[in-house]
Amino acid sequence: MAANDIVLGAVVITALGFDFTNGFHDSANAMATSVATGALKPKAAVALAGVLNFVGAFLSLSVAATIAKGIVNTDLVTLNVVFAGLLGAIVWNLLTWYFGLPSSSSHALIGGVVGATLVAAGTSAVKGHAIVSKVLLPAVLAPVVAGLVAAIGTYLAYRLTARSADRVITKGFKLGQVGSASLVSLAHGTNDAQKTMGVITLALITNGTINKTATTPFWVIVSCALAISAGTYLGGWRVMRTLGKGLVEIHTPQGFAAEGSTSAVLLVSAHFGFPLSTTHVCTGSILGSGVGKRLATVRWSVAGRMAGAWLVTLPAAALVGGVAFKVADIIGGTLGVLVMAFLMAIFAAGLTSPPAGRRSTTTTSTPTGKSTDSRRR
Amino acid sequence: MGSIVLSAPPVDASSLVKVLVASLLGGAGLVAIFALGLAGVSAYVGNTEGGAAVAPGRKPAGLMVALTSFAVVIAGVAYGISVLLNSK
Repeated sequence: MAANDIVLGAVVITALGFDFTNGFHDSANAMATSVATGALKPKAAVALAGVLNFVGAFLSLSVAATIAKGIVNTDLVTLNVVFAGLLGAIVWNLLTWYFGLPSSSSHALIGGVVGATLVAAGTSAVKGHAIVSKVLLPAVLAPVVAGLVAAIGTYLAYRLTARSADRVITKGFKLGQVGSASLVSLAHGTNDAQKTMGVITLALITNGTINKTATTPFWVIVSCALAISAGTYLGGWRVMRTLGKGLVEIHTPQGFAAEGSTSAVLLVSAHFGFPLSTTHVCTGSILGSGVGKRLATVRWSVAGRMAGAWLVTLPAAALVGGVAFKVADIIGGTLGVLVMAFLMAIFAAGLTSPPAGRRSTTTTSTPTGKSTDSRRR
Repeated sequence: MGSIVLSAPPVDASSLVKVLVASLLGGAGLVAIFALGLAGVSAYVGNTEGGAAVAPGRKPAGLMVALTSFAVVIAGVAYGISVLLNSK
């Protein structure tokens, strides 16, 4: 029992760390446009994003339920499997971040857990049809829907204001973006904090701490909300760095429509328990807003990279999760888990502190010299 | 993944259609209504590019359109969030 508690503690801490980095990487981007247009001061924007991510985490539990009970059979999964899955997700996230490849933390998480489960308990422990209907299909459709919604929104926004005064329109959409960016932050908190809640809930169920019909305990909700909002707040300072890098080159009405689409798709999907990738939904919306304002500003290479990342992330994270489980299993028991945790910590430290100096710990400079936007989530 | 049994149809089509419709209404619909509100504001204050009035302003109807539109947008967002909250 005591050994299990150590592993459970490791899972909770690692999951919250994952949640923190999620906020650290993603959330600030929601506010970047509002800061760029001068609608919000950087400090206010970062604080607002942090608060809204916190609040968003309390909105719904449908996605957490999908992750906890919908993708693997809780009777056949052990705590070590959950831990290995989490390691798989984190290692894959760090690798893609280091090499500047687009990825999705959500897909990495699901892939890691599924991979570890497959290795540990075989295909019967994986809920195949639920993964198709709740993860794979929404993963393919969400960016397309987001793009469609953003394209229609952008088209209508330009059409309806075509004969209006520029001064009013510019100021109006700027103010509107404060609202739409706030909703994106809220939706991000809802979608992404719930994924961590789901993993911790799964760990608690497999450990027998709570029974399998139980919902996510309140302390899990609060700690996930705190982790993602703390990550958002601390990572938000990177907004200032990324601003000078030409991160956002879309006009205010497009940005407003894209953010409206992103938040709508994320919030509606959260309601139905679809764990979406916020990265993919954002990218779909931005592409759609380009289509809505004639094809001029569409970066189709982004779409290609996104599709590639989508194909690779699930199997790659599954592979790492599976290997992590196998190695921990060979070493055996709690020791195996602790060794894997230690290896991952060394791996993470190695990737995040390159010899060149401390500067590269932010995503604004990459070893491959690729543009910042490839890692936008 | 040969031995995974696909007992039920893998696609929950009705949920997906609901997601599409709700996203269109919430995402594109509210964006368009907000834009309509801005057009209303513009009609009310007038187009004063380059100092001189290009188009006559002070249309009370514009103000009405603007206020109604912004109220609808706020109500729409509030409704969406309340649906999410009540589903727990």
